[in-house]
Amino acid sequence: MAQGEDNDGAAGGSRRGFLTIGFSAVSVGLAGAALGPAAAMLAHPLGNATTSGADEFVPVGGRTGFGEDPVKVDIYADRVDAWNRVVQVKVGSAWVLAQGDELVAFSTVCPHLGCGIDYVPGERKFLCACHNSWFTIDGGVEEGPSPRAMDTLDTKVDESLVQIRYQRFKQGIEGKEPIV
Amino acid sequence: MSMLDNLADAVEDRLGLISSWEMFRDRLVHGGVRLRHVFPAIIAYLFVQQAVLGTVLATYYSPSATDAWASTAYIQDQVTMGWFVRGLHYHGTSVFIVVIGLWLAQMVLHRAYRAPREFTWWAAIGMLGIGLALGLTGNPLPWDQAGYWGIQVELSIAEQTPGGDIIRTLVQGGSDAGNLSILRLYALHVFVLPGAFAGLVWLVSRQRAQHGLPAPQSMSDADAHKTTQRYFPAQAFLDVLAMAAVGGLIVALTISTHGAELLGPADPTENFQARPEWYFLFLYKLRMFFEGPMEPVATMVIPGAAVTFLLVAPFVDKVAGKTGRVLVLAGMGLLMTGTIGLTAYGLQSDAADEEFQKSVAAAEASAQEARAYAKMGVVPLGGPAVFFNDPQYRTKMLYKEHCQGCHALGGIGGDEGPSLEDYSSRAWVSALVRNAADPRFFGNTKMKDEMEAYPEADLPQEQFEPLVEYVMQLQGDQVVDEALAKKGAQLWEDELECNACHEIEPGEEGDGPNLHGHGSQAWVARVIRDSAQGDLFGEYAAMPKFGDKLSAEDIDALAAFVVLQRGQEPAATPVAQVEPTESTPEANPAEPSPDGAPADAEPVPEVDADAEPAAEAEAPVGAGPGEDQVPAAAVEAEPEPAPKPKPKPKPKKKAPAKAKPKPAPKPAKPAADKANGRKLYLSKCKSCHGTDGKGQTTFGKKLELASITPMGVSTIKKAVTNGVAGTKMKSYRKKLTAQEIDDVSAFAKSL
Repeated sequence: MAQGEDNDGAAGGSRRGFLTIGFSAVSVGLAGAALGPAAAMLAHPLGNATTSGADEFVPVGGRTGFGEDPVKVDIYADRVDAWNRVVQVKVGSAWVLAQGDELVAFSTVCPHLGCGIDYVPGERKFLCACHNSWFTIDGGVEEGPSPRAMDTLDTKVDESLVQIRYQRFKQGIEGKEPIV
Repeated sequence: MSMLDNLADAVEDRLGLISSWEMFRDRLVHGGVRLRHVFPAIIAYLFVQQAVLGTVLATYYSPSATDAWASTAYIQDQVTMGWFVRGLHYHGTSVFIVVIGLWLAQMVLHRAYRAPREFTWWAAIGMLGIGLALGLTGNPLPWDQAGYWGIQVELSIAEQTPGGDIIRTLVQGGSDAGNLSILRLYALHVFVLPGAFAGLVWLVSRQRAQHGLPAPQSMSDADAHKTTQRYFPAQAFLDVLAMAAVGGLIVALTISTHGAELLGPADPTENFQARPEWYFLFLYKLRMFFEGPMEPVATMVIPGAAVTFLLVAPFVDKVAGKTGRVLVLAGMGLLMTGTIGLTAYGLQSDAADEEFQKSVAAAEASAQEARAYAKMGVVPLGGPAVFFNDPQYRTKMLYKEHCQGCHALGGIGGDEGPSLEDYSSRAWVSALVRNAADPRFFGNTKMKDEMEAYPEADLPQEQFEPLVEYVMQLQGDQVVDEALAKKGAQLWEDELECNACHEIEPGEEGDGPNLHGHGSQAWVARVIRDSAQGDLFGEYAAMPKFGDKLSAEDIDALAAFVVLQRGQEPAATPVAQVEPTESTPEANPAEPSPDGAPADAEPVPEVDADAEPAAEAEAPVGAGPGEDQVPAAAVEAEPEPAPKPKPKPKPKKKAPAKAKPKPAPKPAKPAADKANGRKLYLSKCKSCHGTDGKGQTTFGKKLELASITPMGVSTIKKAVTNGVAGTKMKSYRKKLTAQEIDDVSAFAKSL
């Protein structure tokens, strides 16, 4: 063992320091050359949409099909999911009901943690059974952990045809913020 | 401070991290720092880099027969730096294999394989094998043409060895290639082989810890002892410099080739000329020397002998003084020259092989197309489904199936019939007039002796040019020099007597084909339907009658495709179709028909049972049982039209991009039917103009389309009816009924 140290020692401490710094610098550069692009690739979804579609109004049925009792409709749309283009797949669903003359559509996604909200006909209330969030028939919070009322979706009626624009919203916060 | 020190001491006491680092750092380099010692460090570096890049690739890659190609295309063409990371990973393997080869050579040269370092030598041989196996299992993963066919050939070779059929079934996960094949290759590539490789890296590391790095042969023990150094920092610095040089090489390779190649999706029906990766080329070429029953010599005997020789080299070296050493050097020399020679021979013979180069060019062109379509998303039906995104997909498939056998196009196809390259273009017609008996035209048909050649000597340029101009004019849809064509017309009749064989009045029969409207879409459609008609090729016809085999829509689409080959859309007003057997005798064939309305269309609007009368168009229209009628007046404010009024629309199975047969022409309706317009728009307009009409699609961007949203309905209607000269917007006069044009224009206006 001693022999090695002797040879290094003869060259002097400054050479040793130079080599150590050089070794570290080149190592860092080399690691960066591979890790940089790798990190950029991993971070791709931060700056680029990887899914698209389903952001337009989608017809869900005739106006006469909806009354004061909520009806659950599934929303189908064409989607691009990373490399796939999928035609007419379910993107989500909504509870649709008439409030007076107006139609309202509530997303079935619970604003609390995203479970599916169900309708309890006997009570005329909505319930998210995951964490017992109760909502009134108007979608308002009645009881339980949900931070806000059920999320309404944009709806329009054209020539007796009901159309909904499906969106997802951030969960667990008081405000209704769409996820873009 | 002291608490931190205590903590550090406690951790060190438990894990011994610092002392392991010190042991690594203090490994002995006998005889001093040497460049020859850098190989193991480069290999370790490449291994780690490959593992990191591979892991990142695995976050985007999907190992299934339906998704592998599409997900790789996504990495290559859409993910940030995806092409670069994939390129580094791909070229990394090549460099990896070269470095291990060089290391083996270095060990032989410096006799570093001798006791006590045999394990290092064997580990290096194992690394070479695993490196090759990593290439073998990694290259098929994109499931592109090269990958798919490559593994097919490799498995077929394996199958010919004893017990090979079992190996094939095991590797392939069944009797045919598919999901299980990709998953098995993937599992080998990302778990098994890297795991085994890591084991060998550990083995080498153990030997270096135990015995340090060997001093040069020529050095006396005393000298070696005197000059011995620690591994760190001098040898470590040299190592990292070498690693950086190799890393730089990989980056340079990646940039200069724009990453790894990605051909079109695996298609078992294609004729793809498979070639192995360059590092297997020597084995591939070796097989060519041992064809037939001798093949196992190339696939098993020689490679087996080579590996055995390498494994026992450390012992051979010891035999009888210098004899063993010479044997090893000679064997290694033979192996290396053989491998390099065969590789060079393979590369060179492929480069000189025109057929192969043609097939490479065709595969690359197809890959370009496939990857452009892949950006629109691939329907999850397997890689080749990417071509469903091609609006002309169905037509191309029909062409391939029915026409390619006899007609050449894009360098592919038979020569029994005339080539369709630039079909009916001025150049094509010119060459045909000069020599119709050329195999490019009618040389292999029954007509080959019927039309004489007109070489320059018989038909000087000053006559030839007007003649060709006149023939082009006969096509009816060409921009021609009128004066020149007029001159040609005179030559045609008076001097050259072309009219002796070729009639030019519609319907008249002559010895040769009637040239009225020849080369137009309508004419081509007639030829496809039945080329033996009297005014076409008559008794000389050799082409099957496709009128019996294909639908009218398919024939029209094929004709349009053929006419498109001269680099031009079918004419807006093609010369009227002359169908002596089908068209009414009153029809004046010389006059272009004003629109594509079928003859049986009722001129008087007939209100069908479900539709509302025109007067009530403003009021909401009661939906018919099948579809909604949206009046034109209500169209403006409505971005999305009306589909079926069911509470839960079922997913509609759309046959992607298949040219749907046109709906049977309906009697004219009073108001534009926007729902129908939407259907038409989606099938005919969307791929370029986009669902929003703004033209921001792959094709739209390529064509630099302006948004159609500001256009009025009459502008749109005019464009749809007549096409737009000088653009790719073609006339739909013949393709859609007047009602359909109204419908689609009304819908387009509403965007």
